[in-house]
Amino acid sequence: MNHFPQAWGRPRDDVYGQYNPSYLPQSHGGTQQPITHTQSPIVTGTSVIAIKFKTGVVIAADNLASYGSLARFTDVHRLKHFNRKSVVGVGGDVSDMQYLDRLLKSLDVEENYSTGSHTAEESETDPAMMGANNLHTYLSKVMYKRRSDFNPLWNALLVAGLDEKNKPFLASADLLGTTFSGPTMATGFGAHLAQPIMRRIVPDEAASQQLGREEAVQAVRDCMKVLFYRDARSMPEYSIAVIDEKGVELKEKEVLENQSWDFADKIRGYGTQTV
Amino acid sequence: MFRNNYDNDSVTFSPQGRIFQVEYAQEAVKQGSVVVGIVSKTHAVLAALKRNAEELSSYQRKIIPIDTHYGIALAGLASDARVLSNFMKQQSLSSRLTYDRPILLSDITSRIGDRAQTNTQSYGKRPYGVGLLIAGVDAKGPHLFEFQPSGVTQEMVACGIGARSQMARTYLERNLDSFEDSSREELIKHALRALKDSLSQDKELTVDNTSLGVSGVDEPFKLYEGQEISSWLETTFENRPEGQDGDSMAVDS
Amino acid sequence: MTSIGTGYDLSNSVFSPDGRNFQVEYAVKAVENGGTAIGIRCKDGVVLALEKLVTSRLLKKDANKRIATVDRNIGVVHSGLLPDGRHFVSRARDEAQSWRGTYKAPIPVSSLANRMGSYVQAFTLYSSVRPFGITAIVGGWDAETDVDVDGAVGSGPKVGAGGKTKGVKEGGPYLYMIEPSGLYWGYYGAATGKGRQAAKAELEKLKLDPKDGECISLEEGVKEAARIIYVAHEDSKDKDFELEMTWISAVNGPTKGRHEEVPKALKEEAERLAKAALEGEDEDEEKMEK
Repeated sequence: MNHFPQAWGRPRDDVYGQYNPSYLPQSHGGTQQPITHTQSPIVTGTSVIAIKFKTGVVIAADNLASYGSLARFTDVHRLKHFNRKSVVGVGGDVSDMQYLDRLLKSLDVEENYSTGSHTAEESETDPAMMGANNLHTYLSKVMYKRRSDFNPLWNALLVAGLDEKNKPFLASADLLGTTFSGPTMATGFGAHLAQPIMRRIVPDEAASQQLGREEAVQAVRDCMKVLFYRDARSMPEYSIAVIDEKGVELKEKEVLENQSWDFADKIRGYGTQTV
Repeated sequence: MFRNNYDNDSVTFSPQGRIFQVEYAQEAVKQGSVVVGIVSKTHAVLAALKRNAEELSSYQRKIIPIDTHYGIALAGLASDARVLSNFMKQQSLSSRLTYDRPILLSDITSRIGDRAQTNTQSYGKRPYGVGLLIAGVDAKGPHLFEFQPSGVTQEMVACGIGARSQMARTYLERNLDSFEDSSREELIKHALRALKDSLSQDKELTVDNTSLGVSGVDEPFKLYEGQEISSWLETTFENRPEGQDGDSMAVDS
Repeated sequence: MTSIGTGYDLSNSVFSPDGRNFQVEYAVKAVENGGTAIGIRCKDGVVLALEKLVTSRLLKKDANKRIATVDRNIGVVHSGLLPDGRHFVSRARDEAQSWRGTYKAPIPVSSLANRMGSYVQAFTLYSSVRPFGITAIVGGWDAETDVDVDGAVGSGPKVGAGGKTKGVKEGGPYLYMIEPSGLYWGYYGAATGKGRQAAKAELEKLKLDPKDGECISLEEGVKEAARIIYVAHEDSKDKDFELEMTWISAVNGPTKGRHEEVPKALKEEAERLAKAALEGEDEDEEKMEK
């Protein structure tokens, strides 16, 4: 009798001949590789940042999709306009972002089955329109389901907009299915480089309720500049969206202005410098 | 045994384009005791007459709360209603879980409508033998829907289904214009009076045989039974001023 | 209906000796009792209209919408058994969604009509199901402009390989009607339900065939649709009815290529004109009699 655990419940070799373990995984003497899903993102977008202000939310992300360290695509729009109450900003794998975008589109089509045969004016003020909070709950369930299947969507998302009661809403969901919310949010490098700057302006919820639209937009633009200075996977062209009661104002071809690289004067050892 | 050759199953059209099995299922609704629903600008109310099998038995359940924002009233096969209400509870929970929002009443109604329709288009299935009134408040305000075994669903201002419900509907039609601006209490009284109108002469509404479901804007759906409704019954029927609605009430006391 | 009672009409999917499928014909009877539904294919869009008979005073007014959106650019109106109509719509939505899943673009109206025709036809093939008791009118606008595939990021090359072909134009308004047998045709103007005869007679008077020169505009179509529903209702004057109307315009038109309800102001205007036209007719008749 063979007492090794891998022989438990198997036909006896001395009666039936050598057992063929080829269908088993390698850990059990077979040749099968374990099933693997995405191990790392391929083409990626970098940070997304956002700030809540008195009556809405500002959100921004640059237009670059990198292939490793190569700046591969330079006109990629990473802010996705869902409805007049919400925008989703996507960082991480770009093909997963495209999948999410299709998911959002089909959700939008479904949402408009019931309200769709309404006049345009009616749907403007539809009290049952999905709020950004509803969208965030949905997306976080999608992300969590995928990570629980060990097949994550390799993204970090910010959902910005207004909730059902038209109050500003901002929250994140990531590839682990983790969710967070706060008056200022940033994904990727932005969490290290932009978040401290934004928190200086908006330290807490109360401060964001005092913040005006213009100031919020300016803060986000400043942060985008800092991110371009210091994040090597970024570019100076970016998208910015403001969501408030008037709807979504999305600009996808903004360019950083008044750049100053003076701070880099003393930095040595990179690029083509010889001295 | 059969009335004609076209009523054996729900997959046969009669030469006039009717489906008798479905029409017979509608008859099952008329066997159930009466239920009434009304909406105003701010509230949705259900009222139901409960039967008991015998003197010592309990009364059947006629109103089922589904989610915090709505409930249903049934007339017909109670076990079919249980299947449908379980489905509605699941769908309502799933809306809250996936989207963090209460399901729209129009949505849930069309979902059970679609389910009922499949039962009328394939052999070996039978239509549901129950009619429902679905009442509550969602993001778009108070609503009342009627569901029929055929899968037809309609949004109503007021509705009554079940045995002798024609009398209730007559009352509702007569007072149709006053519902929209009714207060919560007025709406409940209207529902009770409509219910009362479809009782046979020897019967009366009591705390034992009546149930009420009430929901409103910022008021979750709640089922009221037993002593909870005694004051409503009293104020609606006992202390009514002389002459008001006299014709409909002359027969009892 | 000479063969009623011979037994060949008791089961679906059974031919009678003279080659008819009676259950399908009976399903058509169910349609003939429904409110009138029409669709008009105009130069720059499609109008769908429905005569909604009011069966009870207790029904909520202007609720209970019956013309459904299938995809952003496609609408369906049906006449006959209401729940069957909803079954049809729900399948059409699934088809539209699955098309998007495969092709990353909205389904063309012709393809949707084709798939739904096949689906409805399948319900005539087996004794275990019954045919649909509805006739559905499917109207939509296939985008004539370049549409991005769903989920596209960026714009792709402007010229060269993978660039855009200049001057290519396709798409436009489409209208199909699908019957309980699964049969469908493309139409310039389609009508079904109780008042279809009167409606067809009116539709034939309109300029809808592009071969005859300029066909009517979408806005004219809306007004004609309202009038035709009112005309078709004339014969069954006993019951009250509500008019439901939706439209789909070109991408640069009033609905931006989407299927939407006709705006209140325009609909009221169309109904006013429709009523006026009917009264005018009555007056004419009276004059003739005198």
